[in-house]
Amino acid sequence: MNDLSPSTLLVLVPLLPLVAAVLTVVLGRTLGGRSFLPALAGIGGAFVVALMLLAGTAREAGLGSGDHDHAPRPVEMVTTLWQWAGVGDAQAAGDAGSSALSFSIPVALRLDPLTATLLVIITGVGLLVAIYSIGYMHGDPGEPRFFALVAAFVFSMSMLVAASNFLLVYVFWEAVGACSYLLIGFWFSKPEAAKAAKKAFLVNRVGDFGLAVATFLLWLTYGTLNFHDTSLADGTLVPGILGASRLADASAYVGGAVGTAICLLLLLAACGKSAQLPLHVWLPDAMEGPTPASSLIHAATMVTAGVYLVARTAPLFVACPGALTLVSIVGASTALVAALIGTVQNDLKRVLAYSTISQLGYMFVSLGTGSLLGFTAAIFHLVTHAFFKALLFMGAGSVMHAMGGVIDMRRFGGLRRIMPITASTFLIGALALAGVAPFAGFYSKDEILSSLHARGWADTHAEHHESAPGGDRAAGLNPFRFATISSEAPVATALDAINTPATFRLLFWMSLITAGLTAFYTFRAVFMTFTGPTRVPDEAGHHAHESPPSMTVPLVILAALSAVSGWWLFSTHSLASFLASTPSFTAPSVAATATPLAFHWDIAIQGTLAAAIGIVIAALGHLGRRSDGPQMERFLGPFETLFARRFFIDEIYSGFIVKPLELIATVAAFLDRHLIDGLVDGIARIPLGCGAVIRRAQSGLLQRYALAGVIGTLLIVLALVARAMGQ
Amino acid sequence: MNTTSLETFSLLAPEIVLVIAALVAYLGGAFMGLRAGWLVAAAGIAASMLVARGQAADPAFSAGVSIDAFSTFIRWTVLSLGILLCLVQAGDLFASAVSRGPGLHRGGTCEEAGTFLLLLAGLSLVGVAGDLVVLFAGLELVSIPTYILLALKRTDARGQEAGLKYFFLSLVASAIFLYALASLYGIAGSTDMAAIAASLSADGAGRIAQAMLPLAIGMAIVGAAFRLAAVPMHFYAPDVYEGTSPGNAALLSTLPKVAGIVVLARLVAMVTPAAGPDLLWQILVVLAAVTMTVGNVMALWQSNIRRLLACSSIAHAGYLMVGVAAASAGAVSGGTHLFAAGGMSATLFYLATYAIATIGLFGAIAYLGHRWPEWTATSGPRPPREEISSVDDLDGLSGTNPVAAFAITVFLLSLAGIPPLPGFWGKLALALSALGVDGTAAIDSGSRRAWFVGVAVVLVLNAAIAAAYYLRLIAAMYFKTTKRGVQADGGLAAGVAMLACLVLVATVSIRPRGLLAAASRAGESLTPVTAPSAGASQSPDTLASR
Repeated sequence: MNDLSPSTLLVLVPLLPLVAAVLTVVLGRTLGGRSFLPALAGIGGAFVVALMLLAGTAREAGLGSGDHDHAPRPVEMVTTLWQWAGVGDAQAAGDAGSSALSFSIPVALRLDPLTATLLVIITGVGLLVAIYSIGYMHGDPGEPRFFALVAAFVFSMSMLVAASNFLLVYVFWEAVGACSYLLIGFWFSKPEAAKAAKKAFLVNRVGDFGLAVATFLLWLTYGTLNFHDTSLADGTLVPGILGASRLADASAYVGGAVGTAICLLLLLAACGKSAQLPLHVWLPDAMEGPTPASSLIHAATMVTAGVYLVARTAPLFVACPGALTLVSIVGASTALVAALIGTVQNDLKRVLAYSTISQLGYMFVSLGTGSLLGFTAAIFHLVTHAFFKALLFMGAGSVMHAMGGVIDMRRFGGLRRIMPITASTFLIGALALAGVAPFAGFYSKDEILSSLHARGWADTHAEHHESAPGGDRAAGLNPFRFATISSEAPVATALDAINTPATFRLLFWMSLITAGLTAFYTFRAVFMTFTGPTRVPDEAGHHAHESPPSMTVPLVILAALSAVSGWWLFSTHSLASFLASTPSFTAPSVAATATPLAFHWDIAIQGTLAAAIGIVIAALGHLGRRSDGPQMERFLGPFETLFARRFFIDEIYSGFIVKPLELIATVAAFLDRHLIDGLVDGIARIPLGCGAVIRRAQSGLLQRYALAGVIGTLLIVLALVARAMGQ
Repeated sequence: MNTTSLETFSLLAPEIVLVIAALVAYLGGAFMGLRAGWLVAAAGIAASMLVARGQAADPAFSAGVSIDAFSTFIRWTVLSLGILLCLVQAGDLFASAVSRGPGLHRGGTCEEAGTFLLLLAGLSLVGVAGDLVVLFAGLELVSIPTYILLALKRTDARGQEAGLKYFFLSLVASAIFLYALASLYGIAGSTDMAAIAASLSADGAGRIAQAMLPLAIGMAIVGAAFRLAAVPMHFYAPDVYEGTSPGNAALLSTLPKVAGIVVLARLVAMVTPAAGPDLLWQILVVLAAVTMTVGNVMALWQSNIRRLLACSSIAHAGYLMVGVAAASAGAVSGGTHLFAAGGMSATLFYLATYAIATIGLFGAIAYLGHRWPEWTATSGPRPPREEISSVDDLDGLSGTNPVAAFAITVFLLSLAGIPPLPGFWGKLALALSALGVDGTAAIDSGSRRAWFVGVAVVLVLNAAIAAAYYLRLIAAMYFKTTKRGVQADGGLAAGVAMLACLVLVATVSIRPRGLLAAASRAGESLTPVTAPSAGASQSPDTLASR
C-alpha cells in the first residue's frame, strides 16, 4: 500500500463513511433489510485506513525504536484539500501593520499522534457498533436512517478530530451535535425521545456559543484560525495557533484576561459537548436514543470531543493557570456529583449515563493538572473508557433487547443464567470501570490520580513547575488590539489564585471518593441485573434468550480490549510516549512537565482500596438479592431523594431559566403576532392598494391608451424642456 | 460615406441570410407544412449565425451600418433568442381538431416562419444600425411582422383585438419616434449617428439645438418606451399578451425589448455629451422607477398567467432602464466611474437573463397547452379541455408534470431575483451600477447620488413586491392539489425550448462570468462616448461648414 500517500489515506477516513451515508440515503429503500451494508463497509474501510495511519504515525514518532529518552519532537502532517473561504490579505485596521489578519479558511486535515489515536477509536468503536446494530436494529422500520446517521456521525467525528483549524472544528462540532440530535430523537414518535433530543440540542447550544465566541477571540488575538503554519503567496509565514513556529516560542501564547477568556469559553464549549457541570443535564435524557447510538456517541466518542478540544488547545490553557485549574475543578465536581446521582438510578442505561459523565469528569480533572502526564492520562482514560463504556452500553442494550425493551433493573434479575455471554462481558466491563487491577480502567485511573497527586504534593514528587502567570505574554501579539486589557486584569489574577497545591489535594480526595462510588454503583448494577433469583418482565415473553452473534461478538471483542488494553498500553508506555509527540504537547510549557513514567504503588493501593470498599458495600446490599428491594432508600435516607432528583438541578434550570424564557417567548409571540405581523401585513397592503388604483387605467379601450400615451409624451417633453430652460 | 455598397452588403450578410431564408419559407409554404417552415427558420438562423461567426471581429463602419462589440452582442442575442423562440413558436400549435375551446386556431401557415425570420432580420438591423434611417427601417421591419404574427396566431375576437391594439398603438409610437428622428436630423443636419454625436458635442451647438434637443430626447424615449412596454406606453401589454398565444407572448416580451434597449443605448451614446448634465438620466431614473412599480403592483392583481407576465414584463422594462440611466450619468461625468460605465453592461446582462427565463416560462406554458377540466363519468359528457390561462390552471402541476413545474419554478425564481439564479446576478449588477454613480460622494438631497441610491432602493423594494406574485404561482404548483390532468399537448418543440432555457439558466447561475464579460465588452464599446472612426472622418468643422 506504499502507493497511497498518508494524505490520501487521511482523506479516506472521513470520506468512506460519508460515501456510505450518502449511499444509504440513496439506496435505503432498495437495500431493504440489508441497509447496513454501506455503513459497515464504509466504517470498516475507514477503520483499516485509520489503523494504517496510526502505524505510520507511530513509525514517524519513533515509537518502537526503544529510545524514550530523547525529547519528543512534534509529528504533524497537514493536507489542505481546498481553500474554502478567503478574504484577501485583510490588513489589520491599525497601522502596526505587523500582523496581517488574513481571513482564509483552508479545508485542511491534520495527522498527528492525538488525531491518529482518536481516529482509530472512532472508527473502531464505530465499526463494532455497526456490527452490533445489525442485530439490534433488525426489523426496525427506520433501519436505513439509523445506519445513514451512524455513518454520517463517524464522518463528522473523524473530521472534527482531523480538522486543522478552529472554524472547521466548529463546523463539525455542530455536525456531530446534529447527528446526536437526530439519533437521540431517532424514535421521534415517542414524546420522551423528541423532548430529550430537543433538550440535548438546546443545552449543547450553550456550549456551542462558547466555541463560537472563542473562535472569534482566537482570530482577533492570533490573526489566524489555523492550527498549522501557513505561508502566504509572498512567502511570509503565518504562524498557526498550534503551529511549529509558535510552539517553539515559550511566550507565544496570550495569558491574562484575554487568554483566560478564550480558555473559559473553550471550557464552556467542552462542558456542553462532554456533559460537564453545569451543562450535564442533557446526557442522561439522551439515553432515549437507540442503545448502539448511545454507546457510540454518548459514551465512547462524541462526548469526548470536549476532552479532545482541551487537549488540543493545551498550550493555550497552560498559559492561563487559573482557567486550567478550573478545568480540574469542574471535572472533579462533575465526577463526584454524577457518581452520587448514579448510585440511586434504577434504569440501567441511566446508571451508565451518569457513569459516563463521571468518567468524563475524570478526564477533565486530569487535563486540568496541566502536566504532560495529565494530558496523556486523560487521553489514555479516553481510550480505555471508550472500550469499557461501549462494552457496558452494548451489554445494557443486549439486556434491553432480551427483556423486550425493559431497562428498569428492579424488574429483572439473575440474568446470568439466561445471558451468559452478556453477563460475563458486562462483568469485565464493570471491573474495568471500577478500576480493578489488571483491567483497563485501573491503569488509566491510576495515571490520573498520579497526575493529581503530583500537583497536590509536589515536594514528594520532587518536581515543581508552577506556570508563571502569562499576563505579560500578550506583548508582541497584536499589541494594539488588546493593549488596554491585556495587562493583569482582576479576573485573571483572581482565577489564577486557585492554582495552588491545596486545590489539587482537595481534588485528589474528591477523585478518590468518586473512584469508590464508581465501583459501588457499577457493581450495584451488576448485582441487580445478573445475580439473585432469575426474573424477567412480561414484555420479554416466554423465551428471553441470549442475543444473536452479531451482538455478542462485538461484546467479546470489547471485553478483551477492556481486559488487556490498559495493562498493555501502560506497561509499554507506548501510548504516553506516542502522544507526547503531538504538537500541542511539545510546547515547552507542557513538555517541560514531563516526568519519568512510573508506577506509584501508594496511589495504586489507595485507588484499589476505594474500589474494593465500593464493591463490598454493593455486594452487601445487592449480591444475590431480589433487585426490587428498598435497600438504597434505607441506606441513604433523605439523601436518596437528593440524589434521585439529581440535586434538583433540572428543577433549578426549569425555574430560573426555562420558565422565565418561556414567559418572554410568550410575550414576544404575542407582540409578533399582533404588532409586527399587523405592521407587515399593513405594509404589504400598500402595493396591493396601488395596484387596485393603477389597474383602473387598464380600461381596455384603445383610444384611452393612445391618449394616455400622448399625454405621457407631452409630460416628458415638457419636463425636459423645463429642465433645459432652467439651466 | 465613401465606402461601397458592396462592403455594406458584406457587413449585413447575417441579416441578408435571414431574409433569404424567409423568402425560402414564403415560397416553400406552397409545398410544405408548417413544421417544415419552422425547420427552415431554424436552419436560416443557424446559417446566419455561421455567417456572423465568419465576420471579422474588428469594429467596422459602412454606410449606415456600424459593427462593434455592442451590435455584435445584440446580433448574437437576437439570433440565440431567435432559435429559442423558433422552438416555442413551433411548439405553439393549437390542434383545433381536438380542442373545442374558442379561438384555438390550427396553427398558421408556413408564412409564419418566414415572417418571424423577417422580424429577426429587422431586429438585427436595429442592432447594427449606425444611421437614423437604417434604425427606423429596422424598427419597422420589427413592427410589421409582429402585426402579422399577432393576427395569424389566433383568429378569435380576442386575438384580433390584441392584434389591432398593438397595431394602432405601435403606429402612434412610431410616429412619435419618427418625429424625434426628424428633430435630431434638424439639429445636426445628418442622419449618421456618429455625425450627430459629433455635432452635438461640438461647442456652440446653437440655440436651435438647445430648444429642440429636449423635444427630440423626450419623443425618442417614448418611442423606445413602446418597445420596452414602459410607462407611458405600457398599456397595451396586458391586453395583447392575454389575447395572443404563449409563443407570441414570449416573442413580444423579449424581442421588442431588445429593440427598445438598442434605441435607448444609441440615444444615450448620441446625446449625453451635449444634453447638459442632468437632462437625460433624470427622466430615465423617474421612468424606470415608475415603470417597475406600475408593473409590479398591477401584476399583484392578475389572475391570468399571460396578463400577469405582461405586467411583470413591464416591471422588468423598468429594471432595464436603471442600467441605461446609470450609463447616461456615467457618460456625463466622462465615464470615469467603473460601475456607472458598467450600467449599460448591466442592462445588457439583465436583458439576456430576463429573456432566457421569460422564453423558458412561455415555452413551458406553450408546452403544457391544455388541461382537462374536473370531470367524473356521472356528471355527463366530458367537457372540452381548457387552454392553460389562469393561475389556477397551474394548481398541483408538481404532481401532474413535475418537470415542467420545476422548470417554471426555476424561471420564476430567476425573474424574482433569487440567488444564485441569473436574475439575481442581473439585479445585483443593475443595483451596483446605480450605486456606483458618484459612488464616493455624500448622499445629499437632490444630488445625483441621492437619485441613484433612491432608484436602487426602489429596485430592491420592487423585487420584494414581485416575489409575492411569482411565489403565488409556485405555491399554486406545489401546495395545491388538483384532479385535473395536464395535457402537455403543446408540442415537443416548446418542451425542448423549456429545457434548453433551463440549461442556460443553470449555466449562467454557476458561471455568470462568461455572459457578464460579453455584456461588459458590449457595454463598454458604447460608453464612454467616443466618436467612432467613421464619424471621426467627419470632424465638427466639416459638419459646421455644411
